[in-house]
Amino acid sequence: MKDFLRQNGILLLVIALLLSILIGVTSAFLGGQADPLSNVVNVIISPIRGGVSAAADWMEGVYTYVFRYQELEQELTELRGQVGELEDELRQKEEAIRENEQLRELLNLQARRRDFTFEDVRITGRSTSNWESTLTLNKGSSSGIEAGDCVVTETGVLVGVVAETGTNWSTVSTIINTETQMGGIVNRTYSAGVLEGDFALMNQGRLKMNYLPEGAQLVSGDEVLTSGRGEIFPSGLVVGTVEGVFTDPSGQTRYAVVKPAVDLDVLIKVFVIKDFEIIE
Amino acid sequence: MTRRDFIHKWTVYALGLLPVWALDAYILPRWPLFGITPMLLPLAAAAVAVLEGAYAGTGFGMAVGLLWELAYPGGFGGLVFFLALAGMAMGAVSQYALSQSLIGCLLCSAGVLALLDLLRIARILFINAARLSDLLQVAVPEFLWSLAWTPLVWLLFRAIYNRVGGTKLA
Repeated sequence: MKDFLRQNGILLLVIALLLSILIGVTSAFLGGQADPLSNVVNVIISPIRGGVSAAADWMEGVYTYVFRYQELEQELTELRGQVGELEDELRQKEEAIRENEQLRELLNLQARRRDFTFEDVRITGRSTSNWESTLTLNKGSSSGIEAGDCVVTETGVLVGVVAETGTNWSTVSTIINTETQMGGIVNRTYSAGVLEGDFALMNQGRLKMNYLPEGAQLVSGDEVLTSGRGEIFPSGLVVGTVEGVFTDPSGQTRYAVVKPAVDLDVLIKVFVIKDFEIIE
Repeated sequence: MTRRDFIHKWTVYALGLLPVWALDAYILPRWPLFGITPMLLPLAAAAVAVLEGAYAGTGFGMAVGLLWELAYPGGFGGLVFFLALAGMAMGAVSQYALSQSLIGCLLCSAGVLALLDLLRIARILFINAARLSDLLQVAVPEFLWSLAWTPLVWLLFRAIYNRVGGTKLA
């Protein structure tokens, strides 16, 4: 055995063990900041990643144009109809907002105001493992992005939370990732719960809303927002809609399966919320 | 084999790893099959270990592990040692028990993929983050879909081996 190991790379194995320990220790100490070795490698491969991503985007665009032209035309007609309906809805909502403002004054409630500072970024990479759902962005700490920043679409739909930052890149843990955990609230009933990813649901592009209150009467289609509890994440960001409510196998608690409002597979450009304020 | 030949040989192997890496990291994750993307890097380590033996398998496994840890998000270091050890084991098994064939590569790939998934499952179960049934729903399709890519990876590295492998350059 000793001879076998000596002849077959025991020295290499020792080097591998030392490298493993080095990477492990630096990752553990640096938390959300990438370790220096990973940072250097990713800074170097960032342009390659961008190039491959652009080529794949172009190929997807060609495919869509050639094979899905009719489908897109039909979608356009439907969307035009929806825009009309939404404009009508918007007029009604503006009236409701005015009424709401008056009620707030009447009840002497202070309106909450949030100021977001955005950084626009491109997605250059997607999850490479089935055990996590992550996105790689083309900007990092040099643009002021930090671990824990929320990432949203241009319409304010939550995409995920920045998990790790390098100099010119960062990775985002998407809302369906099992490591994501944040407070959520159902817009219609104000039922609060904890939004978290789940291994069984991740590959279906869904997440769970756990710890629902006992009396919560949720129905399919209810909109779920971030609650902003703990003031770590902004409140009011759209997460998705309730698809169904189920009881945990233990029979103790109920949870809702939430369908994200964002299609993570087609995202190209997103926005990082670098700063926000809650003024009470 | 001279130092120059040695560098030539392993540069060609490294170049062979590039398309596998590009497929694994950037191309296949864009179009997952039923939500599953295959793991190609362990297959590359298995193919080279089967073709080149334990010593080279250890070194190539370590290099693949380093690439995996440094270029992919969320690394914790363990894969460098794991793939070096797996490379040594696969190289030894192919030298003494199996043959330098696709079947040998398939068996070694199955072993390393299964071990990787089992370690992941054990870690997640240990921290009580999910149920076993949920984890198997991810692990089993991943294992099978990854294994399906073995012939392609084998053919690529077999072609490299036929050109520069073993002591052909000596």
